[in-house]
Amino acid sequence: MERDLRLDDIDRDGAIADALGTMHGHTRADLLRGALVGGGALLAACAAPASASAASSRARDASILNFALTLEELQAAFYTEVERNRVLRGELKRQADTVGGHERAHVRAFRDVLGSKAIKRPHFDFGGATEGSDAFRRTAVAFEDLAVAAYKGQAPHIRSRAYLASALAIHSVEARHAAWIRRLAGKPPVAGPFDEPVSRPAATRIVARTHFVVRRTSRKGPRFTG
Amino acid sequence: MSDRQLTRASLMRGGAALAAGGVALATWPLTTASAPSAKQDAEILRFALTVEDLQAAFYADAIKRAALKGELLEFAQTVGGHERAHAAHIRDLLGASAPKPRRFDFADTNADAKRFGATAIQIEEVGLAAYNGAATSLTSEALADASRIVSVEARHVSWIRDIVGETPAPRAADRPISAKEAQAALARTGFLR
Repeated sequence: MERDLRLDDIDRDGAIADALGTMHGHTRADLLRGALVGGGALLAACAAPASASAASSRARDASILNFALTLEELQAAFYTEVERNRVLRGELKRQADTVGGHERAHVRAFRDVLGSKAIKRPHFDFGGATEGSDAFRRTAVAFEDLAVAAYKGQAPHIRSRAYLASALAIHSVEARHAAWIRRLAGKPPVAGPFDEPVSRPAATRIVARTHFVVRRTSRKGPRFTG
Repeated sequence: MSDRQLTRASLMRGGAALAAGGVALATWPLTTASAPSAKQDAEILRFALTVEDLQAAFYADAIKRAALKGELLEFAQTVGGHERAHAAHIRDLLGASAPKPRRFDFADTNADAKRFGATAIQIEEVGLAAYNGAATSLTSEALADASRIVSVEARHVSWIRDIVGETPAPRAADRPISAKEAQAALARTGFLR
Protein backbone atom coordinates (compact mmCIF):
# COMPACT_ATOMS: atom_id res chain seq x y z
CA MET A 1 0.00 0.00 0.00
CA GLU A 2 1.67 3.19 -1.14
CA ARG A 3 0.90 6.66 0.08
CA ASP A 4 1.98 8.90 -2.68
CA LEU A 5 2.83 12.49 -1.91
CA ARG A 6 2.51 14.79 -4.86
CA LEU A 7 3.53 18.38 -5.11
CA ASP A 8 0.66 18.98 -7.53
CA ASP A 9 -1.40 18.84 -4.38
CA ILE A 10 0.07 22.12 -3.24
CA ASP A 11 -2.71 24.21 -1.97
CA ARG A 12 -4.13 26.86 -4.35
CA ASP A 13 -7.47 26.07 -2.69
CA GLY A 14 -7.89 27.63 0.72
CA ALA A 15 -5.41 26.46 3.31
CA ILE A 16 -5.85 25.37 6.86
CA ALA A 17 -5.58 28.11 9.43
CA ASP A 18 -2.13 29.50 10.13
CA ALA A 19 -2.41 28.34 13.71
CA LEU A 20 -1.83 24.78 12.55
CA GLY A 21 1.86 25.44 12.51
CA THR A 22 2.90 21.93 13.45
CA MET A 23 2.11 18.47 12.28
CA HIS A 24 3.41 16.94 15.46
CA GLY A 25 0.84 14.70 17.06
CA HIS A 26 -1.90 15.48 14.56
CA THR A 27 -3.73 13.05 12.36
CA ARG A 28 -5.28 14.32 9.18
CA ALA A 29 -8.69 14.32 10.87
CA ASP A 30 -7.33 16.50 13.66
CA LEU A 31 -5.93 18.91 11.13
CA LEU A 32 -9.18 19.13 9.25
CA ARG A 33 -11.10 19.75 12.46
CA GLY A 34 -8.55 22.35 13.46
CA ALA A 35 -7.85 20.53 16.71
CA LEU A 36 -4.65 21.57 18.44
CA VAL A 37 -3.10 19.21 20.91
CA GLY A 38 0.37 19.00 22.39
CA GLY A 39 3.47 20.77 21.16
CA GLY A 40 3.27 23.24 24.04
CA ALA A 41 6.30 25.42 23.40
CA LEU A 42 5.72 25.67 19.70
CA LEU A 43 2.04 26.49 20.03
CA ALA A 44 2.82 29.11 22.63
CA ALA A 45 5.27 30.60 20.17
CA CYS A 46 2.68 30.57 17.39
CA ALA A 47 0.20 32.29 19.64
CA ALA A 48 2.58 35.07 20.65
CA PRO A 49 1.15 38.41 19.51
CA ALA A 50 3.03 40.05 16.67
CA SER A 51 5.18 42.87 17.97
CA ALA A 52 8.52 44.43 17.25
CA SER A 53 9.98 43.29 20.56
CA ALA A 54 13.10 41.13 20.56
CA ALA A 55 11.31 38.47 22.59
CA SER A 56 8.59 38.22 19.97
CA SER A 57 11.15 37.97 17.15
CA ARG A 58 12.90 35.18 18.98
CA ALA A 59 9.62 33.35 19.51
CA ARG A 60 8.72 33.70 15.83
CA ASP A 61 12.12 32.43 14.77
CA ALA A 62 11.82 29.48 17.16
CA SER A 63 8.45 28.65 15.68
CA ILE A 64 9.89 28.71 12.16
CA LEU A 65 12.91 26.63 13.17
CA ASN A 66 10.58 24.08 14.78
CA PHE A 67 8.60 23.89 11.57
CA ALA A 68 11.85 23.28 9.65
CA LEU A 69 12.88 20.72 12.27
CA THR A 70 9.64 18.82 11.73
CA LEU A 71 10.28 18.61 7.98
CA GLU A 72 13.86 17.50 8.63
CA GLU A 73 12.72 14.86 11.14
CA LEU A 74 10.28 13.56 8.55
CA GLN A 75 12.97 13.31 5.90
CA ALA A 76 15.63 11.90 8.23
CA ALA A 77 13.28 9.18 9.47
CA PHE A 78 12.30 8.35 5.89
CA TYR A 79 15.88 7.90 4.64
CA THR A 80 16.96 6.07 7.80
CA GLU A 81 14.08 3.63 7.45
CA VAL A 82 14.75 2.95 3.77
CA GLU A 83 18.40 2.38 4.62
CA ARG A 84 17.43 -0.17 7.29
CA ASN A 85 15.00 -1.90 4.94
CA ARG A 86 17.90 -2.50 2.51
CA VAL A 87 15.72 -2.20 -0.58
CA LEU A 88 17.91 0.18 -2.60
CA ARG A 89 20.88 -0.60 -4.81
CA GLY A 90 23.52 1.30 -6.76
CA GLU A 91 23.11 5.00 -7.42
CA LEU A 92 19.77 5.15 -5.63
CA LYS A 93 21.34 3.70 -2.48
CA ARG A 94 24.20 6.17 -2.70
CA GLN A 95 21.69 9.02 -2.99
CA ALA A 96 19.65 7.79 -0.01
CA ASP A 97 22.71 7.24 2.20
CA THR A 98 24.21 10.65 1.39
CA VAL A 99 20.97 12.60 1.64
CA GLY A 100 19.93 10.75 4.79
CA GLY A 101 23.21 11.82 6.38
CA HIS A 102 22.48 15.44 5.47
CA GLU A 103 18.94 15.36 6.83
CA ARG A 104 20.16 13.86 10.10
CA ALA A 105 22.79 16.61 10.30
CA HIS A 106 20.06 19.21 9.77
CA VAL A 107 17.99 17.67 12.58
CA ARG A 108 20.97 17.79 14.96
CA ALA A 109 21.69 21.40 14.02
CA PHE A 110 18.13 22.58 14.66
CA ARG A 111 17.94 20.64 17.93
CA ASP A 112 21.24 22.23 19.05
CA VAL A 113 19.95 25.71 18.37
CA LEU A 114 16.46 25.22 19.78
CA GLY A 115 17.56 23.36 22.91
CA SER A 116 14.59 22.96 25.24
CA LYS A 117 12.35 24.85 22.80
CA ALA A 118 12.61 22.04 20.24
CA ILE A 119 9.47 20.02 19.52
CA LYS A 120 9.34 16.42 20.62
CA ARG A 121 10.35 13.99 17.92
CA PRO A 122 7.23 12.99 15.96
CA HIS A 123 6.32 9.37 15.20
CA PHE A 124 6.18 8.26 11.60
CA ASP A 125 4.62 5.46 9.61
CA PHE A 126 5.73 5.52 5.98
CA GLY A 127 3.59 2.60 4.91
CA GLY A 128 5.01 1.11 1.74
CA ALA A 129 7.02 4.18 0.80
CA THR A 130 10.26 2.77 2.22
CA GLU A 131 9.69 -0.79 1.07
CA GLY A 132 10.45 -0.55 -2.65
CA SER A 133 12.59 1.56 -4.95
CA ASP A 134 9.72 2.99 -7.04
CA ALA A 135 7.76 4.14 -4.02
CA PHE A 136 10.96 5.48 -2.46
CA ARG A 137 11.84 7.50 -5.55
CA ARG A 138 8.39 9.06 -5.86
CA THR A 139 8.21 9.95 -2.19
CA ALA A 140 11.77 11.29 -2.08
CA VAL A 141 11.09 13.58 -5.05
CA ALA A 142 8.02 14.94 -3.31
CA PHE A 143 9.78 15.40 0.04
CA GLU A 144 12.75 17.21 -1.47
CA ASP A 145 10.70 19.50 -3.69
CA LEU A 146 8.45 20.24 -0.72
CA ALA A 147 11.42 21.03 1.54
CA VAL A 148 12.84 23.48 -1.03
CA ALA A 149 9.48 25.22 -1.37
CA ALA A 150 8.85 25.30 2.39
CA TYR A 151 12.27 26.79 3.27
CA LYS A 152 11.72 29.36 0.55
CA GLY A 153 8.35 30.26 2.04
CA GLN A 154 9.78 30.74 5.53
CA ALA A 155 13.11 32.46 4.80
CA PRO A 156 11.72 36.01 4.46
CA HIS A 157 10.04 35.68 7.88
CA ILE A 158 13.22 34.77 9.79
CA ARG A 159 14.43 37.75 11.83
CA SER A 160 17.83 36.54 13.05
CA ARG A 161 20.37 36.93 10.27
CA ALA A 162 22.46 34.07 11.65
CA TYR A 163 19.46 31.72 11.48
CA LEU A 164 18.58 33.06 8.05
CA ALA A 165 22.10 32.38 6.75
CA SER A 166 21.84 28.82 8.02
CA ALA A 167 18.34 28.25 6.66
CA LEU A 168 19.50 29.45 3.23
CA ALA A 169 22.54 27.19 3.36
CA ILE A 170 20.21 24.24 3.98
CA HIS A 171 17.61 25.45 1.45
CA SER A 172 20.09 25.17 -1.42
CA VAL A 173 21.24 21.73 -0.26
CA GLU A 174 17.61 20.56 -0.33
CA ALA A 175 17.49 21.89 -3.90
CA ARG A 176 20.59 19.84 -4.77
CA HIS A 177 18.88 16.79 -3.26
CA ALA A 178 15.73 17.49 -5.25
CA ALA A 179 17.56 17.77 -8.57
CA TRP A 180 19.56 14.62 -7.80
CA ILE A 181 16.57 12.41 -7.01
CA ARG A 182 14.50 13.90 -9.85
CA ARG A 183 17.21 12.89 -12.31
CA LEU A 184 17.26 9.38 -10.84
CA ALA A 185 13.47 9.28 -11.16
CA GLY A 186 13.66 10.25 -14.85
CA LYS A 187 12.21 13.71 -14.28
CA PRO A 188 13.79 17.02 -15.35
CA PRO A 189 16.11 18.04 -12.46
CA VAL A 190 15.01 21.66 -12.90
CA ALA A 191 11.40 22.19 -13.89
CA GLY A 192 11.72 25.88 -14.81
CA PRO A 193 13.68 29.10 -14.29
CA PHE A 194 11.94 29.96 -10.99
CA ASP A 195 11.09 27.77 -7.99
CA GLU A 196 7.98 28.94 -6.17
CA PRO A 197 7.54 28.93 -2.37
CA VAL A 198 4.89 27.05 -0.44
CA SER A 199 3.29 28.51 2.67
CA ARG A 200 3.51 26.84 6.03
CA PRO A 201 -0.18 25.87 6.20
CA ALA A 202 -0.01 24.44 2.69
CA ALA A 203 3.14 22.45 3.50
CA THR A 204 1.51 21.20 6.69
CA ARG A 205 -1.55 20.12 4.75
CA ILE A 206 0.51 18.24 2.16
CA VAL A 207 2.31 16.33 4.87
CA ALA A 208 -0.93 15.65 6.73
CA ARG A 209 -2.44 14.18 3.59
CA THR A 210 0.27 11.52 3.44
CA HIS A 211 -0.65 10.12 6.89
CA PHE A 212 3.08 9.65 7.47
CA VAL A 213 2.93 11.46 10.81
CA VAL A 214 1.13 9.35 13.39
CA ARG A 215 0.33 9.56 17.09
CA ARG A 216 2.47 6.56 17.92
CA THR A 217 4.46 3.90 16.17
CA SER A 218 2.54 1.07 14.55
CA ARG A 219 3.50 -2.36 15.84
CA LYS A 220 3.19 -4.42 12.69
CA GLY A 221 5.57 -4.78 9.80
CA PRO A 222 8.99 -3.21 9.35
CA ARG A 223 8.60 0.10 11.09
CA PHE A 224 10.91 2.72 12.42
CA THR A 225 10.30 5.26 15.15
CA GLY A 226 11.77 8.54 13.95
CA MET B 1 42.49 24.49 -14.61
CA SER B 2 44.28 26.09 -11.68
CA ASP B 3 41.59 28.80 -11.60
CA ARG B 4 39.02 26.18 -10.99
CA GLN B 5 40.99 24.58 -8.20
CA LEU B 6 41.52 27.89 -6.46
CA THR B 7 37.87 28.72 -6.64
CA ARG B 8 36.68 25.30 -5.63
CA ALA B 9 39.18 25.24 -2.76
CA SER B 10 37.78 28.46 -1.37
CA LEU B 11 34.25 27.13 -1.71
CA MET B 12 35.07 23.86 -0.02
CA ARG B 13 36.75 25.43 2.99
CA GLY B 14 35.09 23.96 6.05
CA GLY B 15 33.09 21.58 3.93
CA ALA B 16 34.57 18.42 5.37
CA ALA B 17 33.81 19.48 8.92
CA LEU B 18 30.22 20.22 7.99
CA ALA B 19 29.71 16.95 6.19
CA ALA B 20 31.10 14.98 9.10
CA GLY B 21 29.78 16.88 12.07
CA GLY B 22 26.62 18.61 11.01
CA VAL B 23 25.73 22.24 10.75
CA ALA B 24 26.64 24.76 13.39
CA LEU B 25 23.61 26.97 12.95
CA ALA B 26 24.20 29.85 15.27
CA THR B 27 27.93 30.30 14.89
CA TRP B 28 28.33 31.02 11.21
CA PRO B 29 29.86 34.36 10.40
CA LEU B 30 27.57 36.81 8.68
CA THR B 31 28.88 37.75 5.31
CA THR B 32 27.82 41.40 5.32
CA ALA B 33 27.29 44.03 7.94
CA SER B 34 24.90 46.75 6.83
CA ALA B 35 21.15 46.74 7.46
CA PRO B 36 18.90 45.84 4.53
CA SER B 37 17.67 48.73 2.38
CA ALA B 38 16.30 49.27 -1.12
CA LYS B 39 19.63 50.84 -2.09
CA GLN B 40 21.53 47.77 -0.90
CA ASP B 41 19.04 45.49 -2.68
CA ALA B 42 19.86 47.27 -5.93
CA GLU B 43 23.61 46.91 -5.37
CA ILE B 44 23.25 43.20 -4.77
CA LEU B 45 20.97 42.78 -7.78
CA ARG B 46 23.47 44.59 -10.02
CA PHE B 47 26.12 42.08 -9.02
CA ALA B 48 23.67 39.19 -9.44
CA LEU B 49 22.91 40.46 -12.93
CA THR B 50 26.58 40.30 -13.89
CA VAL B 51 26.70 36.68 -12.72
CA GLU B 52 23.51 35.79 -14.62
CA ASP B 53 24.75 37.54 -17.77
CA LEU B 54 28.06 35.68 -17.51
CA GLN B 55 26.31 32.34 -17.09
CA ALA B 56 23.92 32.99 -19.97
CA ALA B 57 26.80 34.00 -22.25
CA PHE B 58 28.81 30.97 -21.19
CA TYR B 59 26.07 28.52 -22.15
CA ALA B 60 25.46 30.30 -25.46
CA ASP B 61 29.19 30.04 -26.20
CA ALA B 62 29.25 26.37 -25.17
CA ILE B 63 26.37 25.45 -27.44
CA LYS B 64 28.28 27.03 -30.35
CA ARG B 65 31.76 25.74 -29.59
CA ALA B 66 31.91 22.78 -27.19
CA ALA B 67 30.40 20.14 -29.50
CA LEU B 68 28.02 19.07 -26.73
CA LYS B 69 25.86 16.01 -27.16
CA GLY B 70 23.18 14.15 -25.27
CA GLU B 71 22.44 15.23 -21.73
CA LEU B 72 25.27 17.80 -21.65
CA LEU B 73 23.67 19.58 -24.60
CA GLU B 74 20.25 19.35 -22.96
CA PHE B 75 21.78 20.78 -19.79
CA ALA B 76 23.40 23.72 -21.60
CA GLN B 77 20.22 24.54 -23.50
CA THR B 78 17.90 24.26 -20.50
CA VAL B 79 20.15 26.05 -18.04
CA GLY B 80 21.10 28.71 -20.58
CA GLY B 81 17.40 29.48 -20.94
CA HIS B 82 17.03 29.76 -17.18
CA GLU B 83 19.97 32.14 -16.85
CA ARG B 84 18.55 34.36 -19.60
CA ALA B 85 15.20 34.39 -17.77
CA HIS B 86 16.94 35.33 -14.51
CA ALA B 87 18.88 38.13 -16.19
CA ALA B 88 15.73 39.49 -17.84
CA HIS B 89 13.87 39.40 -14.52
CA ILE B 90 16.64 41.25 -12.66
CA ARG B 91 16.91 43.85 -15.49
CA ASP B 92 13.18 44.45 -15.09
CA LEU B 93 13.57 44.96 -11.35
CA LEU B 94 16.51 47.35 -11.74
CA GLY B 95 15.00 49.35 -14.58
CA ALA B 96 17.15 52.31 -15.56
CA SER B 97 19.79 51.46 -12.93
CA ALA B 98 20.60 48.12 -14.58
CA PRO B 99 24.21 48.00 -15.78
CA LYS B 100 24.92 47.52 -19.47
CA PRO B 101 25.63 43.91 -20.45
CA ARG B 102 29.31 43.09 -20.01
CA ARG B 103 31.57 41.45 -22.55
CA PHE B 104 32.97 38.07 -21.74
CA ASP B 105 35.85 35.96 -22.99
CA PHE B 106 35.65 32.28 -22.17
CA ALA B 107 39.03 31.49 -23.72
CA ASP B 108 39.39 27.74 -24.23
CA THR B 109 36.94 26.65 -21.54
CA ASN B 110 34.46 25.55 -24.19
CA ALA B 111 37.03 23.76 -26.32
CA ASP B 112 35.55 20.39 -25.41
CA ALA B 113 32.82 18.80 -23.32
CA LYS B 114 35.10 17.97 -20.41
CA ARG B 115 36.30 21.53 -19.92
CA PHE B 116 32.74 22.75 -20.39
CA GLY B 117 31.54 20.51 -17.54
CA ALA B 118 34.28 21.62 -15.15
CA THR B 119 33.69 25.30 -15.90
CA ALA B 120 29.91 24.97 -15.62
CA ILE B 121 30.35 23.51 -12.13
CA GLN B 122 32.67 26.36 -11.22
CA ILE B 123 30.39 29.19 -12.33
CA GLU B 124 27.27 27.57 -10.89
CA GLU B 125 28.96 26.97 -7.52
CA VAL B 126 30.24 30.55 -7.36
CA GLY B 127 26.84 31.94 -8.37
CA LEU B 128 25.03 29.88 -5.77
CA ALA B 129 27.47 30.71 -2.96
CA ALA B 130 27.32 34.41 -3.87
CA TYR B 131 23.50 34.41 -3.77
CA ASN B 132 23.53 32.62 -0.41
CA GLY B 133 26.07 35.12 0.93
CA ALA B 134 24.19 38.19 -0.26
CA ALA B 135 20.69 36.99 0.58
CA THR B 136 20.96 37.81 4.29
CA SER B 137 21.55 41.45 3.36
CA LEU B 138 18.40 41.77 1.25
CA THR B 139 15.09 43.21 2.44
CA SER B 140 12.42 40.57 3.06
CA GLU B 141 10.67 41.35 -0.22
CA ALA B 142 13.85 41.12 -2.28
CA LEU B 143 14.83 37.95 -0.45
CA ALA B 144 11.49 36.32 -1.20
CA ASP B 145 12.02 37.08 -4.88
CA ALA B 146 15.72 36.15 -5.07
CA SER B 147 15.16 32.83 -3.33
CA ARG B 148 13.05 31.75 -6.32
CA ILE B 149 16.29 31.93 -8.32
CA VAL B 150 18.69 30.57 -5.68
CA SER B 151 17.27 27.05 -5.52
CA VAL B 152 17.23 26.87 -9.31
CA GLU B 153 20.96 27.65 -9.31
CA ALA B 154 21.40 24.89 -6.74
CA ARG B 155 19.51 22.46 -8.97
CA HIS B 156 21.74 23.46 -11.90
CA VAL B 157 24.93 22.71 -10.01
CA SER B 158 23.54 19.43 -8.70
CA TRP B 159 22.54 18.38 -12.21
CA ILE B 160 25.89 19.17 -13.87
CA ARG B 161 27.86 17.58 -11.02
CA ASP B 162 25.80 14.42 -11.40
CA ILE B 163 26.29 14.35 -15.18
CA VAL B 164 30.07 14.57 -14.89
CA GLY B 165 30.22 12.04 -12.05
CA GLU B 166 30.73 14.29 -9.03
CA THR B 167 28.55 14.01 -5.93
CA PRO B 168 25.61 16.38 -6.53
CA ALA B 169 25.37 17.39 -2.87
CA PRO B 170 28.78 17.09 -1.22
CA ARG B 171 27.89 18.89 2.02
CA ALA B 172 24.99 19.11 4.49
CA ALA B 173 25.03 22.91 4.20
CA ASP B 174 26.22 25.16 1.38
CA ARG B 175 28.87 27.64 2.44
CA PRO B 176 27.99 31.21 1.50
CA ILE B 177 30.65 33.60 0.20
CA SER B 178 30.79 37.35 0.58
CA ALA B 179 30.43 39.72 -2.37
CA LYS B 180 34.16 40.37 -2.11
CA GLU B 181 34.99 36.66 -2.31
CA ALA B 182 32.57 36.22 -5.20
CA GLN B 183 34.12 39.12 -7.10
CA ALA B 184 37.59 37.73 -6.53
CA ALA B 185 36.46 34.28 -7.71
CA LEU B 186 34.96 35.77 -10.87
CA ALA B 187 38.06 37.89 -11.48
CA ARG B 188 40.25 34.80 -11.25
CA THR B 189 38.31 33.14 -14.06
CA GLY B 190 39.40 35.91 -16.44
CA PHE B 191 35.96 35.73 -18.12
CA LEU B 192 35.09 39.38 -17.49
CA ARG B 193 36.45 41.76 -20.12
